[in-house]
Amino acid sequence: MGRLSIEGVHKHYGKVHALKGVDLDIAEGEFCVFVGPSGCGKSTLLRCIAGLEEIDEGRVRIDGEAVEGLRPRDRNVAMVFQNYALYPYLSVFENIAFGLRARKVPDAEVRARVGRAAAMLGLETFLDRKPRELSGGQRQRVAIGRAVVRDARLFLFDEPLSNLDAQLRDGMRAEIKRLHQEIGKTTVYVTHDQIEAMTLADRIVLLRDGRIEQQGAPLDLFERPETRFVAGFLGSPQMNFIPCRAEGGALRFSCGRSLPLSRPAPEGRDLLFGVRPEHFSRPGEGDPRPRLDVEIDLVQPTGARTYAQFRLGGVEATAELPAHAVERPGARIALAADMARAHLFDAATGRAIRD
Amino acid sequence: MTAAARTPYTDRNFKYLLIVPAVATILLVGLFPVIYSLILSFQNVDMMFEDTSFQGAKHYRALIGDARFWESLGHTLLFLVIALPAELILGLAMAYLFLDRMPGRQVFVALLVLPVTISPVVAGATWRLLFDNRFGPINQILGWFSDEPVTILWTIDPSFVYAAILMAEIWQWTPFMFLLLLAALSNVDRSQIEAAELDGAGFWRRFRLVILPAIWPVMAIAILIRALDLFRLFDVVWALTRGGPGTMTETFSIYAYVLGFQQFETSYTAAMSFVVILILVVTITIVLRRMEIER
Repeated sequence: MGRLSIEGVHKHYGKVHALKGVDLDIAEGEFCVFVGPSGCGKSTLLRCIAGLEEIDEGRVRIDGEAVEGLRPRDRNVAMVFQNYALYPYLSVFENIAFGLRARKVPDAEVRARVGRAAAMLGLETFLDRKPRELSGGQRQRVAIGRAVVRDARLFLFDEPLSNLDAQLRDGMRAEIKRLHQEIGKTTVYVTHDQIEAMTLADRIVLLRDGRIEQQGAPLDLFERPETRFVAGFLGSPQMNFIPCRAEGGALRFSCGRSLPLSRPAPEGRDLLFGVRPEHFSRPGEGDPRPRLDVEIDLVQPTGARTYAQFRLGGVEATAELPAHAVERPGARIALAADMARAHLFDAATGRAIRD
Repeated sequence: MTAAARTPYTDRNFKYLLIVPAVATILLVGLFPVIYSLILSFQNVDMMFEDTSFQGAKHYRALIGDARFWESLGHTLLFLVIALPAELILGLAMAYLFLDRMPGRQVFVALLVLPVTISPVVAGATWRLLFDNRFGPINQILGWFSDEPVTILWTIDPSFVYAAILMAEIWQWTPFMFLLLLAALSNVDRSQIEAAELDGAGFWRRFRLVILPAIWPVMAIAILIRALDLFRLFDVVWALTRGGPGTMTETFSIYAYVLGFQQFETSYTAAMSFVVILILVVTITIVLRRMEIER
């Protein structure tokens, strides 16, 4: 139970075309994360699945049943909201029990199920409190409890961690993942945070401008981005994109420097050399890899690693190096790029160039 | 202390001096008339005599046997128990309709609010014209639906006077409820309503458990304001029926006005007002406690 299939879904808000034909299949028990910059349509898509927004075109099926015409409450899905959306005048117990009471579940069973959900989320001692007496993390736990207590077909999460502070967010993220492993319910999770997307997802669906840009397993998207947008969205600090051209088996940058190509690339076109900061390193003595001599103009130590910025091909590039690799700006050092893990993109279309 | 030591010329009582004018004004225009009328109610002042000797509770005893007084209170309550729920329910329903964005919403809201901006006496006089038995548009329109001309004596016929007054009253004050409740409803957290919807709650359950508790503080104040207004209902009734036919629609305010300013039973009217104030204070205290406006 919990198969979700979306076919050709369009959604307009007045003149804004928010979803431009989304097709997606989510398998039973899958943890699927919608990620993308704000305004990409990820929340809209989630709300269309929940039934909080009507779709203008297309199909939404849950377990094969077309649900576009159904009211939210008839779809049997549970949702966790960004601002928790707890009922402020009801106790934690009644908040969690709300959906069961609305469905006329017998009192004894309500007690048993709320008890189980509370135990799972460590809320047993808070059941008599009102939401305003709880911390942000506890509130979000109640909101999750409200979802898990029901035997819903889908769990929908709309940026559930955005209102929490960073430390709490890490803890709750782990808890949500653990919960999904325990319950195994099909989950659709919306976030703009790529770390959340990478860590939680069985599958990431990256949306851009109302369309699916790319979808797949987190590491697939990370290691084999199909477009410059995907490559730039995942990973922190961002992948470097350096304008270049391929000439005679080497990449030539506008600053005159060049790197030999490890695989063929189309010549005579504007390209972007995409390399993640962590794929730069300082070559040791006798390292056979081609070297780039650069002048570091900004050093940002983060503790374990240091981010060093330099200019290459007319743009600012970042290299992630070991903590003490560079001490201060102005240093001239040699860098080697891991060409096997670098990417080439067509500068005009943004699409990845593969052999 | 240290501040006073550093600025020795600052009179620490200066702040009290600053509020003296305001306090004096309030005492003069607020407290003095109350105390004066309380004193009056124990005297025997009317148009003929200014007997300022202490009369004990004479007027208060007379009030207990004054059927017209109790009837006027009864009429007032009757207006209150019909008009208040009607205004509340209509206002709430209208606010609900106008909650969603729609084209022309602002124009409609502005038009709907117009009745509140009209002085009640003017509104009453206008309704009197509308209700006119021979030339009024209301009888005219009703006539279109029946075969013969309709000549209902809206402001005279005992079976229609209450309907006429209530119609004018509800027409004028429903927008007040509408405005306050619209503001309250637009402040309800949408995601709570959506969460309740996803949780399987139908309209009534959502309204009772999510929306009503959220708008209650505003709604309670709106009810209170309107209840107090209705308790001193005067203008519309005066403009339409002058309390008639006979004393059939006479509210407490009209009775007090007639006695105090047409028959100049000054002391008796003062006593009457005090009884009403007492009733109001007790009622409001109980109601406020039960409304739980603060949470």
